[in-house]
Amino acid sequence: MTEQAMRPQFMGARVKRVEDPRLLTGQARYLDDIDLPGMLEVAFVRSPYPAARIMGMDLTAVKSAPGVRAVLTFEDCPILLWQKDSYQVGQPVLAHNEVRYVGEPVVAVVAEDRYQAEDAAELAVVHYEPMEPVLDMVQSIAELPRRVHAHAGNVFYHKEYTTQGFSEAFSQATRHLTATFRTTRQTAVTMEPRGTAAMPDPASGRMTVYASTQSPHRIRGDLAELLGWAENQIRVIVPEVGGGFGMKANTYPEDVVVVWAARHLGKPVKWVSDRTESLLTDVHARDDIHEVEVAYQENGRIVAIRDHLMADGGAYPAYPFSGAVGETSLASRVLPGPYQIPYIETVIDCTYSNKTPLGAYRGVWGPIASFVQEGIVDRVARSLGRDPVEVRRVNMIRPDQFPFRNAAGMIYDAGSYGESMEEALRLVGYKDFRARQSALREQGKYRGIGISVFVEPTAMASSEAGSIGYESVFIRVEPTGKVTAAMGLGPTGQGHETTMAQLIADQVGVNLEDIVILHGDTDSAPFGGGTGGSRSGPIGGGAALVAGREMRQRLVKLAAHQLEAAEEDIELGHGQAWVAGVPDRAMTIRQLAEIAYTHVKRIPPGMPIGLELLARYRPEQSVSFSNGTHIAEVEVDPLTGLVQVLNYVVVNDCGRLINPLIVEGQIHGGVAQGIGSAFLESLRYGDDGQLMTTSLSDYLLPEATDVPRITIKHLVTPSAGEGGIKGMGEGSLIGAPTALVGAVSDALAPFHVMVDRLPVTPDDVIEWITARE
Amino acid sequence: MNSRVPLKLTVNGETFDIEVEPRWLLSDVLRHQLGLVGTHVGCEQGACGACTVLIDGKPERSCLTFAIQVEGQQITTVEGLTRDENLTPLQEAFSEHHALQCGYCTPGMLLTATALLRLEPHPNERQVREALSGNVCRCTGYQFIVDAILAVAGDTKEDAR
Repeated sequence: MTEQAMRPQFMGARVKRVEDPRLLTGQARYLDDIDLPGMLEVAFVRSPYPAARIMGMDLTAVKSAPGVRAVLTFEDCPILLWQKDSYQVGQPVLAHNEVRYVGEPVVAVVAEDRYQAEDAAELAVVHYEPMEPVLDMVQSIAELPRRVHAHAGNVFYHKEYTTQGFSEAFSQATRHLTATFRTTRQTAVTMEPRGTAAMPDPASGRMTVYASTQSPHRIRGDLAELLGWAENQIRVIVPEVGGGFGMKANTYPEDVVVVWAARHLGKPVKWVSDRTESLLTDVHARDDIHEVEVAYQENGRIVAIRDHLMADGGAYPAYPFSGAVGETSLASRVLPGPYQIPYIETVIDCTYSNKTPLGAYRGVWGPIASFVQEGIVDRVARSLGRDPVEVRRVNMIRPDQFPFRNAAGMIYDAGSYGESMEEALRLVGYKDFRARQSALREQGKYRGIGISVFVEPTAMASSEAGSIGYESVFIRVEPTGKVTAAMGLGPTGQGHETTMAQLIADQVGVNLEDIVILHGDTDSAPFGGGTGGSRSGPIGGGAALVAGREMRQRLVKLAAHQLEAAEEDIELGHGQAWVAGVPDRAMTIRQLAEIAYTHVKRIPPGMPIGLELLARYRPEQSVSFSNGTHIAEVEVDPLTGLVQVLNYVVVNDCGRLINPLIVEGQIHGGVAQGIGSAFLESLRYGDDGQLMTTSLSDYLLPEATDVPRITIKHLVTPSAGEGGIKGMGEGSLIGAPTALVGAVSDALAPFHVMVDRLPVTPDDVIEWITARE
Repeated sequence: MNSRVPLKLTVNGETFDIEVEPRWLLSDVLRHQLGLVGTHVGCEQGACGACTVLIDGKPERSCLTFAIQVEGQQITTVEGLTRDENLTPLQEAFSEHHALQCGYCTPGMLLTATALLRLEPHPNERQVREALSGNVCRCTGYQFIVDAILAVAGDTKEDAR
């Protein structure tokens, strides 16, 4: 009976996506495309100060402006995110007495359309008494210049970890080095901005919330808790989502205000972010400092790493998880990456500041940790005068060491660490590269290669998306033999309607076009965690396989009874069930479904009526590690400081692939975002606490001319979980920035440059070169 | 400034008599007055290209254009690319090459590429990337979009022979 699953027809195939036609013809419906009769729209009056007391407001003119239906302040809507006291601090959904970052919502103006709402919002007069902003992470740890929240210390998360025997090992090593690594603030910049709409249903008393989110059930739970409603009074519908990348995994103040307003006005209400609001108030990400000390031996073996990890969490912990905690805590546990570094000592400090709250962005923790990990290896190599590839080989975890317990206690399941690097080196032509590099240097051309061997923890029992270690699939073979399956995932472009259908089609024995995957509606989908932390493939896909297999068993049993054959002789495929070797003795799935629903007397004893079931899948391992190697070849122009990416190779291992086309799309996109992270993207704050990058002309995204052609090779080390699937949504953004800036360090070795920050700008390059000349 | 004025707007070959405020953006009028929500708004700053439409065949930012500016001109939105239920060869190639993920930038990409292929039926990769450089895609890393456009250009070439 498992024969079919062993010879899958759809899993592993480069299948075109079922989502595409509607997206290609302009027929998809995103949040802002939802337009309900009588719908009102919201504009927010936002704080122009990073830190100020609110001394008073005059909203008279706002209230009497054309089209205005309601003007809301904290007095109207007195709700705090984090009502539970996990962090002693909860952001009021509209500022209460004090503002703590530029862009913080202060007043909500609800009007007949967005033009009128914005016109009216401009008339708001808010009297502020500015205070000195807290802007520097290191100063903030020392409570300088002051506390962000008078009643709570600036360090809101502190944690220490030491591998036993660290001190002896550290001091006994013959060589030591120190380095500091930084990332600036970046953010996801989904092409579709955030947005929320809510529609009260007076008949049922329920509220329908349209949310552009990655976690439909989570936002339903959050809203129920924050508003004090029963969760079955809220239906969350997620329309088409134009990108998430972790940023849409949070519940935001605006979400709560919109739903509150819809309830109290008894009208549908919508708010959609404009781009300036997005850059000001979508959760920011990264913003790490790692102060690192390394102990190593003459032979290149790295013995011990000490790291003080800091992250600026912004003014409030984002709800319901702080990006600063995710950024640091996971980094501290995966810091050694693919290397067998036996000792580690970490200290984590997450701080408040007068900046936008920090949340998740694809690869949370990963870009900085991989930058530190590979940065250490490159520094060790350079200090010893050895080839960076050699030092990697010396330290790499060997295949015979899996499952490998790293110095922070994380268990790595099997991967292809060394093999991925060797394969990537071959593809990039490393053998001849050093000779090529020296020859070009003679001509004043600075080329470099950066190597990034990454590990990517996926399918974690706990992640930002729901913190549940399982997914659920409700599957139904309809009375006509078509298949409908509903899941609690929250796809934002990953193509789950295709990949999940591929997995189910193989199991149930129907064709892809006979399957519809439902998601993003809490009334139809079983409870699920949503999409994030690279969990949809391995956990959601696992659940699809389990549900499909259970349905297959039902169909086989039903068919065996009708065809008077043994269950083990029944085969399923192409919408048919038949007796193995006797293709004439066959029935269609449709005929079986008719029996299951209509001619129920023909159902074998003990079998339930109908073909519906709910299956859940929780992987036995609490995490599964994908891995791979990125190698970038760049040329740095010493006069302009510009970096050109000439060649880019990815060898990726995410276990068994569901759809290579989609995996490759994810890799390409992650590398492009890596180019942004490495060279372009930076949310810059002025000394006065103003965010200076509030348009896409200031916050630069990679364009088609910035991204090179990427060569991809897949290796397959299956996970122990269902289908052998590992997650892979984030690995390319974990690996890419490090490969890219590592290549800059390599190119500028003659100037003794070793990159210590993300991103690297042309100004940085020119400064480094002139400083050395 | 908020009083409405009459406007004849020609979109996808059909002429609409509507009333608009002079300050209304073409993108907003297409989306909210005509219900053509395939045109997406990504930044309203002219930077991302998601709102690209063709105005007399040329790709333009509908978020930087007032609706009243384009009276009498031919506007094409993504809804105007396909006349029947079938996809155009370009749309087909986008699907074949997995040139879209979340789909939000896709209408703008299609219109930019359509204009490019009319101007230059056989572009090379550099020309394609140059043409797309005003359209930001956050998901795909562009490679499969470039491949899709090159594939269509290649097909056209074969057809022409």
